Amino acid sequence: MKRLSVVLVLVLLATMALTACGPRATEAPTDAPATDVPATQPPATDEQVTITIATGAVGIEFELSQAAAQRYMDMNPNVTVRVLDTPDMVQDRLGLYLQFFEARSAEVDVYQIDVIWPGDLAEHFVDLYEYGARDVAGDHFPAIIENNTVDGRLVGIPWFTDAGLLYYRTDLLEKYGYTAPPATWAELEEMAQTIQDGERADGNTDFWGFVWQGNAYEGLTCDALEWIDSNGGGTIVSPDKVITINNPAAIAIVDRAATWVGTISPPGVVGFAEEDARAVWQSGNAAFMRNWPYAYSLGNADDSVIAGLFDVVPLPAGDAGSGSATLGGWQLAVSRYSNNPQIAADVALFLASAEEQKIRATEASLNPTIMSLYQDADVLASNPFFGSLYDVFINAVARPSTATAPNYNDTSTLFFQAVHSVLTGSENAADAFEELELDLQALLGYEIGQP
Amino acid sequence: MSKHKGISDLAKREERLAYWLLLPTFIILLVIAFYPLGSVFYNSLTNKVFASDQPVEFVGLENYSRLLSMTIRRLPPVLDASGNPEVNPETGEPVYARSLDVLPREPRRYREAMQFSFLGNRYVVGATDRDFVRGIFDTLRFTVFSVVLETVLGLGIAMVVNTKFTGRGAMRAVMLVPWAIPTAVSSRMWQWMFQSTRVGFFNVVFQGLGLIESPIPFLTEQTWQVPAMIAIDVWKTTPFMALLLLAGLQLIPGDIYEAADVDGASKLRQFFTITLPLLRPTLAVALVFRTLDALRVFDLFQIVLAQSRYSMASFTYYQLTNNRAMGYSSASSVIIFILIFVFAVVYIQLLGGVDAE
Repeated sequence: MKRLSVVLVLVLLATMALTACGPRATEAPTDAPATDVPATQPPATDEQVTITIATGAVGIEFELSQAAAQRYMDMNPNVTVRVLDTPDMVQDRLGLYLQFFEARSAEVDVYQIDVIWPGDLAEHFVDLYEYGARDVAGDHFPAIIENNTVDGRLVGIPWFTDAGLLYYRTDLLEKYGYTAPPATWAELEEMAQTIQDGERADGNTDFWGFVWQGNAYEGLTCDALEWIDSNGGGTIVSPDKVITINNPAAIAIVDRAATWVGTISPPGVVGFAEEDARAVWQSGNAAFMRNWPYAYSLGNADDSVIAGLFDVVPLPAGDAGSGSATLGGWQLAVSRYSNNPQIAADVALFLASAEEQKIRATEASLNPTIMSLYQDADVLASNPFFGSLYDVFINAVARPSTATAPNYNDTSTLFFQAVHSVLTGSENAADAFEELELDLQALLGYEIGQP
Repeated sequence: MSKHKGISDLAKREERLAYWLLLPTFIILLVIAFYPLGSVFYNSLTNKVFASDQPVEFVGLENYSRLLSMTIRRLPPVLDASGNPEVNPETGEPVYARSLDVLPREPRRYREAMQFSFLGNRYVVGATDRDFVRGIFDTLRFTVFSVVLETVLGLGIAMVVNTKFTGRGAMRAVMLVPWAIPTAVSSRMWQWMFQSTRVGFFNVVFQGLGLIESPIPFLTEQTWQVPAMIAIDVWKTTPFMALLLLAGLQLIPGDIYEAADVDGASKLRQFFTITLPLLRPTLAVALVFRTLDALRVFDLFQIVLAQSRYSMASFTYYQLTNNRAMGYSSASSVIIFILIFVFAVVYIQLLGGVDAE
């Protein structure tokens, strides 16, 4: 009996250990009915409908969404729009969404989705073309509409966009006699080195030439894709499903980036994400930074030591002759499991309308996806760089998320791990990409080719 | 005893009542423990995709073989033009063929998990899922080192706060501070301290002391990642170990030590012949607790290292939420379960039972 009890205790302990470490792995199977409280609870009198939007809360995003929801409610008194706050970290947000989808929950009607998700999550969203999006789709950047179109279905209406930019210190370029920001990576290296040497000689030993995102995460996929595409090295996997990563142009530029680590960029850059780079930059300790547009308004804030001392330009070019910017940004998608898809789609289209995008652009530097807003005087007044960078946003290079769906995440992970191993010096790019090519082939089963 | 014919009806009835009273507990156990466990086990035999309508197929042990398949291949030395082994001019070490060319690619691709030398030959260990195999290895390493260090340090601290001195109560409270901080917070804290920039406490201090020339990227360099995790865990969990052991120490009657003093036993002798044997049951519980806990370490690895290095649990999480491979991640959960189970059984056997007299 004592034996038995010991064994029982053991089984229990182990079970607890298991359930504690993988709570999500032990969720009820799909055939369980969606037990969530329905989002709509029409009180018999006035057919009140509740629509829930899951949005981000980075910076003032949440407040913006709430204000927009209020405007919608003022116009449509029978609709209550509830704004649901979701995690800041993209991967955590995806994890939360997946749980809603697995349970086919009607709890959330409208989801804010990342630019890399439409391919993977398409099956959970309605086709917005069936809900009146055909009239407005033409106003948005065609590249984003194409990104959000899966098998002819528009699964998300673009809300705001993002693209990688080069930030540079106007005062330092002038101090060291440069008349224009760098147009090529070679110019960037030379300027960064000169300015870094000069500033250090002047006593700022913490000064670095160039900061960017080098940690092993999705951000490195964005940065490395920009290097490779600007050098004519393709986009890892081409849109027509050919694995193109193992080519001389890609190898050359990644080997080149590896030489920046410890010379013009801090050794710790291989652990940097966006905010780490911004911390160095905004404390005035870097001449150049690669980052998203959000850093612009923050850099010009009152407490910033570099306010008014910097500007943004497109990223430098490699052998391809022009620079590349990775496409980022967020879309609004309507859940297939919503109880009121018609109204939910109306809310989504309202939030993504020109008037609402204009408010978001002027108040928070969130880049509109509607082309005409880049000529709007109010938008340009609060974001002077929008006008000159119109081409950057319209030509941004998309990550191969649709071509590799549903394996984009694995593809991106293999890619940034390979690039990271080159940056940290554990192998050279030729070996890393030769191996990556085989890994991608094993994962995706696509042909191998040149870009 | 139950074979005695004379057993009274009363006793029988009481026995039956006892079973009835236990029944609800067993049902609850069945529902909350065995049902999810069974569903994970079932999922591990399928190719189910998390949050998707894709048809689910039964794939047998395919997931397990993909997780665990390994191979060892000898790396032949590279020969130069004259047929002699080529030597790297910088390091003076012989050059071997690349594991990429040696490891099999069909029907499944093996990736290099590690290399080692044995009897003058160079070998490569290939695995179909390199990350998981590394994850197991790293988790075991993490467990062994962190638990040993925590036990030794915890015992020391427990013995100190078990002696009488002024401010002992305050000391005991202060001791628990690291344990009271949520792992998410302490992980972030340590992440900053390990930074290789000006933010990084360790690099700044070591550089100030002249111990290192250039900053060490503790969290990005392979060799430092697991030791960094061990350091964080030891800092955080030693107080818990000390608390458990302190409870055990307080159970030991003081007069035994008085008797030992009278007999002239040295303090060291007292420790090994009185303290340690009497502490054994407590130590056993504490060790089982900590080992099982360390084997399923998740938050620390997930927060600090994310996708650059996995523990078994953070690998499972990554496969489920990022790759949506529900079948595959269920299989790795089952493997974690079995590993922890084996550890627990071995422990109980070695330590002679938690409830030994």
